[in-house]
Amino acid sequence: MSANPADRLRKNLPVPYTKFLPEQLKRNLGKWIDRKFHGYGIIEHISETGDRIFTVKIGTPPNFRLSTSTLRELAKVADELGIGALRFTRNGNIEFITDSLDKALKIKEEAEKMGFPVGGWGPTLWSVNSCTAFLTCTTAVVDSPSITKVLYDALKPYFTGEITLPAKLRINVSGCPSACGGFTADINLVGHYGDAPTYDPERIKLCLPKSAKALETGHVPEVAEVCPTGAIKVYGKPDGTVGLDVIRSKCIACGRCRDVCDWMDFDESKAGVAVLIGGKASNTGTGPWPSVQVIPWVPAVPPDYKEIVAVVKKIVDVWRSHARTGERIGDWLNRVGFEEFYKLLNIPLTRWNQPPRFSGEFGIRQFFQRA
Amino acid sequence: MEASQKRAEVDELARSASKVLERLENGPWPSHVKELKKSKYPLEAYAAGLAARKTQWAAGSAKIRYVYTGFIARRTRDGKYAELHFRVWQPSGQIYTTDYLRRLLDFADTYGLGLIEILGQQGMMIISVDPSRADEAIDALRALGTDVGATGDTIRELATCVGPALCEFALYDTLAARDYFLTHPKIYEWMSNQLFPFKFKAKFSGCPMDCTRAVHRSDFGFVGVWEGAPEVDQELLRRKIEAGEVDPKELAARCPSGAITWDGKELKIDGAKCKKSMECIRRAFPAIKPGKNRKIAVLVGGHVKGRFGGKMGKPLAIVNSVEEAMGWVVKTVESWMDGLETGVSKHKDRIGDFIMKVNFKKYTEEILGVKVPYKPSLHGRLGAGAVLDDNERKMWLEWVQNIVKEYEERI
Repeated sequence: MSANPADRLRKNLPVPYTKFLPEQLKRNLGKWIDRKFHGYGIIEHISETGDRIFTVKIGTPPNFRLSTSTLRELAKVADELGIGALRFTRNGNIEFITDSLDKALKIKEEAEKMGFPVGGWGPTLWSVNSCTAFLTCTTAVVDSPSITKVLYDALKPYFTGEITLPAKLRINVSGCPSACGGFTADINLVGHYGDAPTYDPERIKLCLPKSAKALETGHVPEVAEVCPTGAIKVYGKPDGTVGLDVIRSKCIACGRCRDVCDWMDFDESKAGVAVLIGGKASNTGTGPWPSVQVIPWVPAVPPDYKEIVAVVKKIVDVWRSHARTGERIGDWLNRVGFEEFYKLLNIPLTRWNQPPRFSGEFGIRQFFQRA
Repeated sequence: MEASQKRAEVDELARSASKVLERLENGPWPSHVKELKKSKYPLEAYAAGLAARKTQWAAGSAKIRYVYTGFIARRTRDGKYAELHFRVWQPSGQIYTTDYLRRLLDFADTYGLGLIEILGQQGMMIISVDPSRADEAIDALRALGTDVGATGDTIRELATCVGPALCEFALYDTLAARDYFLTHPKIYEWMSNQLFPFKFKAKFSGCPMDCTRAVHRSDFGFVGVWEGAPEVDQELLRRKIEAGEVDPKELAARCPSGAITWDGKELKIDGAKCKKSMECIRRAFPAIKPGKNRKIAVLVGGHVKGRFGGKMGKPLAIVNSVEEAMGWVVKTVESWMDGLETGVSKHKDRIGDFIMKVNFKKYTEEILGVKVPYKPSLHGRLGAGAVLDDNERKMWLEWVQNIVKEYEERI
């Protein structure tokens, strides 16, 4: 225990970043003038100082959980063949950093020997981003890490570049509609109840006031207050306790109630994943785009999740055979329209997958359309 | 009596999950289950979740003196297993020297189970720190030059792209900008407590390709841009064309702004039309480079998780530095927090939800005192989920079974 524990109120931040950079990167900071790709997993950056730095990208296990022993092995490779540094990307891939193509190729060999695929740049599968779900999360409906694992197993040749794609592909897998794994990528799988939530009748009391008197002053318990559609009603019962009703016709299965109350529940036999597509952040092509729910429900059955794998494969195959080179899924949809996409996959049109209407372009393109 | 019955739940379920775990350990992609097994992590709660098709975790509690953010406490619904995870601030750019990384690994071995979630979005997560040594662990972490700190209704981990450390497209120093933002007196004060209606995120992308997804997933997004047309080095471009590396006709055809013309000798880009798509730059770099007059586009109100569904960022201003925008950040956060008192914002309202309630024009003019000349694009609620009846679920099941069959027949 430190002399003054109150010091902890002031966070000890890892700043400035220059303190943490290896020397080779520090002396080339902001001086990069050119780059070259060597396959789909190695990029060369060329500095005006004449230095050349090679980055080797490897895919990691779902939810990016690694044992310290594996990380020590990777660190050993980074010392022996690299410049003694690793980078963790925002999507949980690991990048080795080295100073010659020869060493980069040796790193690739070592990583593959350890079972880590190398790839993920260019017209390939860049990553499958997964939230923690059953590993840690209280609100998860389906287990995104295991869905991610079977998807990666099925799609590995797209990551390594053995089979190429029209353009970059990112997949997000989220265990519940809070979508911590994201739903802004090209293909997104998001777990949800498939119906209105249920609740544990005994334990739901932990999320409600003990006495109906508390409601008389206009107090609304958070589990009802947080609902964006007013689908949860609480009321005083004749015996003075508090009851809760879920109005099914108003519910959109968004999961906000379960966010604030662990005892909201669901029927796992009805739960599944929604498929959203077309999202992208980059300003390339038709610019940043939101993703749209096109398939409201597919069952999520462990351990093979064969329905999910088949749908993702089908979307990728249809995109591969119809898109132009360089067109991400969102760019392609933007050109051909949702109706055409629905026709290609024979997707029924329901109230849960209506084609969206947007008023303009998104992201920084909004700065180029004057009010 | 009841407690002992419940206690059997997780362990019993876990025993029936061996087949599922076996499937997840195998296959060509690296396995998370294999990694969990290489550490001291107890697999029971995860295995039970897979068997029950339901998460076994519920909110737990932990108390660490003078620390109010940065750790996550969980317990299984039957009360048998508990976890306390530390979220650790990352250095801007998430580059770790092996020396520094090994010290963090030692930390995870000493106080945790030898397991780390390395992800870059919310900071590094040290899985399951021993709660009885949590106080000591905080001190040990601080001695390594970092700290816990990105959970709950406060400032979360701020994402940057790799920026000037390893990218030729960085139009501003995203790494320095993140450091500046984190250490700004107001932000620094707020990050130690959970006083916001919900989480707050800022993201720093060096160029319009937006590797951090600032347009989708940040309350304040800072994206590097330039004014006018990209810079063309005609001589170098000619050489690239002669070498067959670049096709000028393709550059013109691919430009989504329709700003490029090629007359057979010279390539011209109309700066007034250019939407900064990066399409020509990434194909012909460094013969075509971003323009010299570099700026930062500020977007506000983007998020995925929020009460009223996901939103994309709205255009606020184009500035010369992140410093110029800090006044707006502070004003926005303060009125969003004040909203908790006045009833305008509620718990679980992100800044995007707050702006939606106040109205964008009123927010910019009355709260920020800025006249925004840009037009925000509109979209419906972004979200996932559906309330289906048995017939509807049956319809979708039949639809997907046809696709499953199609792929099974192919094999």
